[in-house]
Amino acid sequence: MNQQGMHFEKLKIASFDFTCCEGCQLQLANNESSLPAFFELLDVHAFREISSEKHDDYDIALVEGSISRSDEIDRLLAIRKQAKILVAFGTCACFGGVNSLKNRIPIEESVVEVYGELQVETLPVRKISDIVQVDISIPGCPVAKEEVERIVVSLVTGSKVNLPKYPVCVECKQQINTCLFDLGEICLGSITRAGCSAVCTSGKTPCLGCRGPAEDINFPAFMEMVRERGLSESDLREKLDFHNAFETYRNDET
Amino acid sequence: MIYKVISKSEFRKFIDALVRQNTSFGPRQVDRNTADEPIYQFMPVSSVDDIEFDYTLTTSSAKHFFLPFRDQLSRFSFQNSDFEQHVAYEADPVVLIGLRPCDISALNILDDVLLNGRYPSPYYLAKRKNTFVIGMDHLPLPDCFCKSLAHHTVSTGFNLFCSDIGEKYYLSINSSKAFTYLEEFQTEEPSCEDNCLMTRRRKLISESFRTEVDVTSLPSILDIEFESPVWDKWGAKCLNCGTCAMVCPTCYCYSVDEHFDIDLKGASRNRQLYSCNLVDFAVVAGGHNFRPKNGDRLKYRYYHQHRGFAENANQQICVGCNRCGRACLTGINPKAVINDLRMEKESCMTCVSPSPDRT
Amino acid sequence: MHDLRFTIPRQDLNREAFASSVPDFNLKSDLMKTDMGYKCRITNIVSLTEQEKLFRLRIVDPEERRIFRFKPGQFIMLELPGFGDVPISISSASSNHEFIELCIRKAGHVTSALFRIDTGMHVAIRGPFGSSFPMDEMAGHHALLIAGGLGIAPLRAPLFWINEHRDRFRDVHLLYGAKEPSQLLFSYQFDEWKTISHIRLHTIVEHADAEWKGSTGMITELFRDITIDAKNTYAIVCGPPVMFKFVCSCLDRLGIPMNRMFVSLERRMHCGMGKCCRCMVGSTFTCIDGPVFDYWSVMNLKEAI
Repeated sequence: MNQQGMHFEKLKIASFDFTCCEGCQLQLANNESSLPAFFELLDVHAFREISSEKHDDYDIALVEGSISRSDEIDRLLAIRKQAKILVAFGTCACFGGVNSLKNRIPIEESVVEVYGELQVETLPVRKISDIVQVDISIPGCPVAKEEVERIVVSLVTGSKVNLPKYPVCVECKQQINTCLFDLGEICLGSITRAGCSAVCTSGKTPCLGCRGPAEDINFPAFMEMVRERGLSESDLREKLDFHNAFETYRNDET
Repeated sequence: MIYKVISKSEFRKFIDALVRQNTSFGPRQVDRNTADEPIYQFMPVSSVDDIEFDYTLTTSSAKHFFLPFRDQLSRFSFQNSDFEQHVAYEADPVVLIGLRPCDISALNILDDVLLNGRYPSPYYLAKRKNTFVIGMDHLPLPDCFCKSLAHHTVSTGFNLFCSDIGEKYYLSINSSKAFTYLEEFQTEEPSCEDNCLMTRRRKLISESFRTEVDVTSLPSILDIEFESPVWDKWGAKCLNCGTCAMVCPTCYCYSVDEHFDIDLKGASRNRQLYSCNLVDFAVVAGGHNFRPKNGDRLKYRYYHQHRGFAENANQQICVGCNRCGRACLTGINPKAVINDLRMEKESCMTCVSPSPDRT
Repeated sequence: MHDLRFTIPRQDLNREAFASSVPDFNLKSDLMKTDMGYKCRITNIVSLTEQEKLFRLRIVDPEERRIFRFKPGQFIMLELPGFGDVPISISSASSNHEFIELCIRKAGHVTSALFRIDTGMHVAIRGPFGSSFPMDEMAGHHALLIAGGLGIAPLRAPLFWINEHRDRFRDVHLLYGAKEPSQLLFSYQFDEWKTISHIRLHTIVEHADAEWKGSTGMITELFRDITIDAKNTYAIVCGPPVMFKFVCSCLDRLGIPMNRMFVSLERRMHCGMGKCCRCMVGSTFTCIDGPVFDYWSVMNLKEAI
């Protein structure tokens, strides 16, 4: 592809799923109007939602899901070896995601709860960066297709790959939404990274922080604010832990 | 300016005719808060019945009708090693109903900043020229402090301004368009009694303010208190969420970004309204942040709002609507911050109580 | 029910309509391109170091070439469509109406993309923006130009100006410091400056290599080598912010009045027109009131250095 006097190479891309719902990968097949142009930028080497082709000479690996079994670790290490750029794709890959709920109870109990008598090998849930180095993180449950498109275009053209540094509040206010705190809800929008176009809060669903913390957040002031409003402490914890995205701040707290 | 009075029923007919024929926005109730008070916003309206003429306040200002939160500045289309740039200053006509005097003052301030400087903004002017502004007065809320900044009345910057004098509206007609439309409806010259009612209304509004913020010599105080511990105190509460700037009627700072279309055949250059409270507002190439602390950034917003910058002759740009104060999750509000600054200054001068330590 | 009597007519905006509401806009638009850039062809690219290249740009349209004029010290917004724009100070002579030169360091994503393009490509420039060095006011005096690292780039325009009006200046000193000898830019011009322009050039590097025969140390050490008639000297300082503090206090000690010391401040401008407020220093716009400030103004600016 030539444009602006520059030569742009297609991205040799492969997609892999670990412990997840594959919903983020499915997002890539969404947005039909831009789909043909989007795939013009990609040379798909492995992507089971999209193509039956399979080659192992990819440059960019999209990794969806968290790690919860030892065989997943081996697979991930192999992907890291091949990939020039490893992308943690979606909230599970970036933070552990909903799967991390499992880490709150002893492993044995969780196995019995789900599988009964059946013996299943399983590990506490970990995010991708706990195992291998991650080059780019694209958070979101699911990822935002527009953001993925923008990042793919940036990778192809070699322009800046970045996520908004500011919190969801900015985008939420731009939609002229009513603040959910005014409606008595606890919303994580003021500490969560923007880029989702405030899709949840626009539908009056409080932000659960799927995109993780915004840059340089004031976590103590946020906690203080929720407490001063007399809102439910357990609801707050439930939300903060939902995607395991505020792990570092929660650990600092105690 | 031409003054008329119009009965409330005839006024509704006039507004209805206008609203049905044009893309219009007016105050509508969108929610009720936990205290069961209505929450209003400027929303699309298609008939007079949609409009809440007796609304209290809108949570967000009307700024985005003139300065959209996201706006395309130019388009590029590529052909081999060449490109074409396209710039368009286009705006569709819009009717805005129910702006408060402070909202209109805010537009006048934006006019100053965006049209009178060395580089007037055609994007803004296109929107401003194509917006028909109908203002309405109201009794101040307990936390409104626009009177402290002399923005509780407004005499310019609108097409039509309506004051509620009981049975009728007292109309200040400030454009030929408004005058022509009104000719189709029954209006009267204000009688002596109407004028009295109008004067009484103004007096009532003026006397109803409960909040006063002393803004005298604030620019100099802000300069002197640049290193004040007050900024650390309030900065410790600030979430850097940018809400204050988004709801503010005058915050206009922005960032520019540019990206390729997905087919790589074109690109667009966009403007996004930003806030000096956001963490990367003062980051330069190479990553250095000139305002790394919460307090630095919060201070900066107050500096801009209450000291004013050269482009509008160092005038304060705050109009005293207190939208930022109401919207702030952690309760940072101009009244408290400015009073703190003053206290700090005064306690220093009189040595009544020791100032907090400067670090 | 379409009662067109109440339809608000659309008011389209062209430059002329705009001019009528803002009296001097038309005049300004003749001089400056603010939204639409001047389209330029890149006619030459010279690699100065691994990190810096000198780009030569020629405005494509002859009519536009005729109206583009700038003063030494001013900057332009360089637009690489698709990638974005960056503020760059002009490094060529203001009397040169055929092309402009920009000395660019690979720092952010736009400049990195610029390093990947070849001659023949098209870019756009908006501007010129900002304040300039007071060349006419400086004439008749000694000139002391002090550059650190890439700070030589904005100094090149005043150097050209001095060269063209050399008889109007008394002694001209150029103090130029860099981290290493290989990072001294425009070394190919050193002899020309010395012999043709009669500029006394003093260079210094922080870390010498085997071949370096000149001085080693911080730029302030060069002050020991020169004698200055402080009462009749104008100084221009360009370089990284840390340098300003030390150099300006040196100049202060030498007795050069603050309003005769000029610095060029660096901030990340987004619009160049005093609208976006990204480059504010205290209550001042770097893009309109600056980038060139006298040192007295800088002292008065909050968070300037």
